[in-house]
Parts: sequence; structure tokens; C-alpha cells
Amino acid sequence: MIPDALSLLLILIIAFLFSGALAPFEALGWWAGWFGRQKEDIAKTAEPVQKPSQAKHFVIFLTGIHSVSEASFARREIALLEQLRKRMPDAMILELFPYSVTNQALTGQRFFAWFWRLALKLKLSRLAFAGFIINMRNIWQVAVSADRRYGPIYNQGTAESMALTLRRHGYTFHSGTPITLIGYSGGGQIAIGAAPYLKEIIQAPITIISMGGIMCSDPGLGAIDRLYHLYGRRDRVQRLGFLLFPGRWPLLPYSAWNQALHDGHIQLVDMGPVDHTGKDGYLDSQQKLPDGRSYLEQTVATITAIIEEKSVSSALWFGRS
Amino acid sequence: MVELNLIGQSLALKDVAFLEVVRLESLRVALLVVFLAGLSHALGQSIVLFANEVKPRRFVASLILGALIYLSGFLFFSFSIWLVEGFIFGKEESFKNMVKVVGLAYSPYLFNFFILTPYFGSFFSVALSLWSLAAILVGLRAVLALSFWQAFVCSALGWVLLQLVNRTLGRPVHSLTRAGRRLVAGTKLEQSPKNLSKHQGRS
Repeated sequence: MIPDALSLLLILIIAFLFSGALAPFEALGWWAGWFGRQKEDIAKTAEPVQKPSQAKHFVIFLTGIHSVSEASFARREIALLEQLRKRMPDAMILELFPYSVTNQALTGQRFFAWFWRLALKLKLSRLAFAGFIINMRNIWQVAVSADRRYGPIYNQGTAESMALTLRRHGYTFHSGTPITLIGYSGGGQIAIGAAPYLKEIIQAPITIISMGGIMCSDPGLGAIDRLYHLYGRRDRVQRLGFLLFPGRWPLLPYSAWNQALHDGHIQLVDMGPVDHTGKDGYLDSQQKLPDGRSYLEQTVATITAIIEEKSVSSALWFGRS
Repeated sequence: MVELNLIGQSLALKDVAFLEVVRLESLRVALLVVFLAGLSHALGQSIVLFANEVKPRRFVASLILGALIYLSGFLFFSFSIWLVEGFIFGKEESFKNMVKVVGLAYSPYLFNFFILTPYFGSFFSVALSLWSLAAILVGLRAVLALSFWQAFVCSALGWVLLQLVNRTLGRPVHSLTRAGRRLVAGTKLEQSPKNLSKHQGRS
């Protein structure tokens, strides 16, 4: 018996709802110590840095919701990171899988690794549905970060993962070396959620760059130094953050988002006729702007300008054309 | 299978389900629905257990205790409605039948665990309450031959009565259940999601 389209749709909706209800368990179980969480103050107990890095700036890139691990970054994301490394040789550019409180790749999970490996394989062989399942799983983790009940737990977990990643790469806590978190798509929410906790651990200034980030009016925004939200005019995905989270509506001037915006902690950066992903996306190296640069080149220039504290508008299409 | 049929029909708000359930001799269906709804509710609220780092075995025991407390709350609610329908509308339905009707009308609460859903949890909570209220109204109308508004007054006053009892005579019971929850969880259950973070201001 072949189920009709309506039944299939119903099955999909039920699966989506179930995966939503199950989404917080990884973070909650981790917090409760069910998966071996060590209760410790990372800032004090993490192993001392063997070889302190000479990098003047540390950057952590948080991938979009399409990933299953930090090693499965899309081709365009790899190009972005390569270009950033070329442009800023003094900076240490790191990658992190943000949709797990323990920075554990889906393909490295205890019980479901086989499932995510299969999903990734199918996705790479261009089966759109497999990509949908991965996106769905990660979207719910973004919602866990944005949720007032689970956010404090999830965000502390990702902040600890970030701190440990930094430490592994020679970052010395309390050294004051600045950090930049680049959150692409759902990674934007993870970045603003984790930043206040990360700041507590490392005691250094943190800048966040949201690249088409889907973000809520996170209570932690009050503790953030600077947030640059890069948005393309054709990027409808990042607009979801505005639509879904009432705290971002102008109707609520005292929300965390609107207060941070009012106080100048959030800067909205218009990237021009850019889309969220794929062709015409922030990382498209083929599509050209009126000034002759590719969309990717503009994105790289903008991120570099922010990190090097130069004029952002000079990196943008309208600032040069 | 009979149970599943009845639950399915009550979820679809069909009055035949309630007429059928009062014909059954035992309270099994009603109490089973409410107990499972209670388990689902306890799971939906389990963030408190996780936040307090309750261990897996105690976690399961806490869910069962939560379900039993939920069941007792349901019995009080059914009793309140039964008092109201008897005193105000002069109906002479047995308390047992009231338990069957209200119990089956708790079927939507079987989905209480959806309260866990991040960000949309409170939407589910409200939706399930309204769904169950609708089921209670259908059940009361069918079994007691009340009009819509009479059924509504019955459940609304029943609810008010329950709240009054909760806030007065129910206080010692609450202290007792709190103590029971702590005993079973093995911690004081002092942590709430709110005080886990220093960064929880307005959102």
C-alpha cells in the first residue's frame, strides 16, 4: 500500500513534532551528568596551555544547520575559511560544530552515528530529503538555544566547548586576546547564546558576526560587546528570526534585542542583493556585485574589516561603487 | 483495542465515546488515560529534574510519582465537577461515571510531553488545555444531557472550586507532595531553569 501525499505530509509533521519534543534531551542529559559531564570550572581546571599561541586574534566559525560535524562543511564554507586565513595570517581561525552541547559530531554519536552517516551520504548524493532531516534536527537545536528553559543549559554547554577548543589551540584564558564568533544561519543564535558564558570563562572581549543569522532576542545580548548582523536583501531565511521571535519586533522596545540595538551593541550590515545560501548566497564566488567583486569577496572583506576594527562600510558594495 | 477506539473518538470530540465509556463497568480506561497523561505531563515538566541533576533511576521514579500526583489532582477535579453538576443542575449522575467521563476527556493530555518542545512548549500547553476542555464539554453534554453553557459552567465552576481548595485546604497536601518529590528525586529540587543562569533578564 502506497501512502498518499496527505498521509506522507501528516507523517512528516508528526516526525517533525516528535523530533522537536526530543530535541532538548541531549543538552538536558548532559547537564544532569547522564552522559558523563564533569562538573568543574573550566577556567580553573582545564589543562594548562602547553604551547601558547602567538595569534593576535581567535575566530570560531559556527557552521549552518546543514552540517552533521565540523568536518562536513560545505565547499563554500571551506572557501570562506581559506580566504579568511589568507587575509588574516595573524588570526587563528577555528571551526566548531555548534548543534551539540558537547561539540560532538552527529556522526560520532554513541547510538545514532550510523543514521547520520547514512543521512550525510545520501545528502552528498543529492537526495534532498536527507538534507531536510539534517536541517530539521539542527533547527530544533537552535530552538533549544533560544528557549528560556533550555537556553541556560545548552548555551553553557556550547560555551564550554568553545573554551576547550580555544584552549586546545593555544589560547590562554584571561590573556585578553580578542575572540570573534562567526555564526552562519542557525550558528548566529548559538553564538549570541554562548557568548556571555564564554566571556565569563575566558575574560576577554567577544565580537559576534552573524552571517544571515537566525537569532532570538536572547537575554544574554545585554552582556555582549558587539554584534554585527550581516544580512542580504534576498535572504528570507534570516528574516525568520525576526518573524518567529517577538522580542525582535519594534513593538517591544524594552526587549533585550531592541535595547542592545538602541545602545549600539548591535549593528545591522546590509550586504546588498545577497541570498542566504547556495547560488547568490553570502559565499557565492561566481556572482558579482556592481563593484566587480564576488559575493564571497565582499563577505570576506566585511568580516576582515570587523575583526581588524576598520571601517565596515568601505568593505560593502555601496561603499565602493 | 476498545481503549484505543475510545481514546481516538474522544480526541476527535465524538460524544459517542463518552456514552460508551459510562457503559463500561470498570474505571480502567479513564484511570489508564489519566495515569498515562500524568506520566506524559511529568515528562513534559522534567526540565526541573534535569536541572537538579537527578539520576536516571530516580528520574523514572519521579515521573511515576508525578503521574500519581496528577491522578489525584484529576480525582479532585472530577469531584468538583460532580459537586457542581449535582448542586447547581440537580443531576444525579454517579461520581464513578463522572470519573469515567472526565478521565476520557483527559485524552488530549496524553500529548503533554510536547510541552518539552523548545520555544513552542507553552503553545502546546495552552492548545492541549483547550482541547481537553472541549472534550469535557462534549462529554458532559452527552452524558448529563446539559446544554453547552451548562456544561461550560459546570467545568468552569469545578475548576474554580478546585483552585479554592488548592489554595486553602490543599496547602498541607502540597507540602506533603513536595516532600515526596524531593524524597524520590534524592535532591532538594531547588534549581529551576531560571536560576541556572546569570544572564536571564528580559528576552
